[in-house]
Amino acid sequence: MRWENFRFALFEKAPEALLEHSMIVVITITIAILISVPLGVFLSRPKYKKFGLVTLNILNLLQAVPGIAVIALALPILGLGMKPAIVALLFQSLLPIVRNTIAGLLGVSSDVKEAASGMGMSQRRILWEVELPLAIPIILSGIRTATVYVVSIGTLASLIGAGGLGNLIMGGLSLFRPEYLLVGAGLGALMAIFLDRMINYLEYRITPPGMRVE
Amino acid sequence: MTLTDFVNFLVKNSKTIMEYSENHFTLVLLAVGISLLIWVPVGLLLTKSDKWAARVLALANTIFCIPSLSMFAILVTIPMFGLGRKSALLALVLYAMMPLIRSVYDGVKNVDRNVIEAARGMGMSTKRILVEILVPLGMPIIFAGFRITVVMTTGIAAIATYIGERNLGRFIQEGLVRSNTPMMVTGALIISIIAIGLDTILGMIEKRIVPKGLRVSR
Repeated sequence: MRWENFRFALFEKAPEALLEHSMIVVITITIAILISVPLGVFLSRPKYKKFGLVTLNILNLLQAVPGIAVIALALPILGLGMKPAIVALLFQSLLPIVRNTIAGLLGVSSDVKEAASGMGMSQRRILWEVELPLAIPIILSGIRTATVYVVSIGTLASLIGAGGLGNLIMGGLSLFRPEYLLVGAGLGALMAIFLDRMINYLEYRITPPGMRVE
Repeated sequence: MTLTDFVNFLVKNSKTIMEYSENHFTLVLLAVGISLLIWVPVGLLLTKSDKWAARVLALANTIFCIPSLSMFAILVTIPMFGLGRKSALLALVLYAMMPLIRSVYDGVKNVDRNVIEAARGMGMSTKRILVEILVPLGMPIIFAGFRITVVMTTGIAAIATYIGERNLGRFIQEGLVRSNTPMMVTGALIISIIAIGLDTILGMIEKRIVPKGLRVSR
């Protein structure tokens, strides 16, 4: 271990890698939320429930595919770069959010929904003002799972040229420079833990005090 | 890349595929075996103390967050472990901590208190309650955790190729380096099929072992 190497990795290499990694995570999760929350809402409507099981089963299968395999399959189909990596990561980050959206919406007590419709609320208003607010903590915990997952598999995305912290780790492994490994891996771990804690805190704040479970 | 490329690759490299699969499975089996031996008793112990359960589960959650490549990379820099099987095993066992401890803890904690009271009223000892009531009734949740552990370990084990394990991940690694698409795709497909297969088989067993009255709709 040499201090110059460590400093070089931390101050010259890491900022760019960290920025790329955060970009991958933010873009993937934003698109994942935009796709899967509406999908979850759609699938939890009584009319379309029968599609729900099929979709969930397909997503479950996709989820069982290991991350490194998804990345490897993305390369011949989509090519090199950040875009293919984001598409590959997207595939696997959908399931936790869709599943939790459905679970959250179905978990809303039917008494509450009945009370709302008894007060003359339309279906749309019930969804926006009753169901979604009550389901948000559960949806957020799905988003948390997906985020941690994307940070984790994002380190593998450097294999297909997406950049990010994986570059430092791979470089460290092939040059056998432990300093690079420690900086890349450490920042990756810290980023995942930080995001997990942050969303967890958000989840806690957003849950009404009466609903908090311990 | 066409189907013929794929079939050619399978035929030409069947020996290597067998060797890598064997390595992959031994690593997964060892990791899951050690994890079960360590984490199931820990999970059972934690049901005795809520304070420690919260602490250990928080730790397990944090470990679970660490990206797998990072975990391997960090372990490699520790002189005692270095490149190879020891680091790979330790990383996999650490990852299995969260699903196993959590499912054992949740499974046992979810058992109806009245049932435990009834058992105690019948004069069962704590040990017998554990073996004959808590574990069988908690089995559905425990087995679900086991299933997640196995599927996850299979996937993460492939990444251990970067720290010197010669397993199915090697096809992906070398395929990427040599831009050999058939090799890469074959590796990815084999791992995916194994993971999906294990998930499906364990899912079927899961349905079998759960008593009818306890089946939850998901």
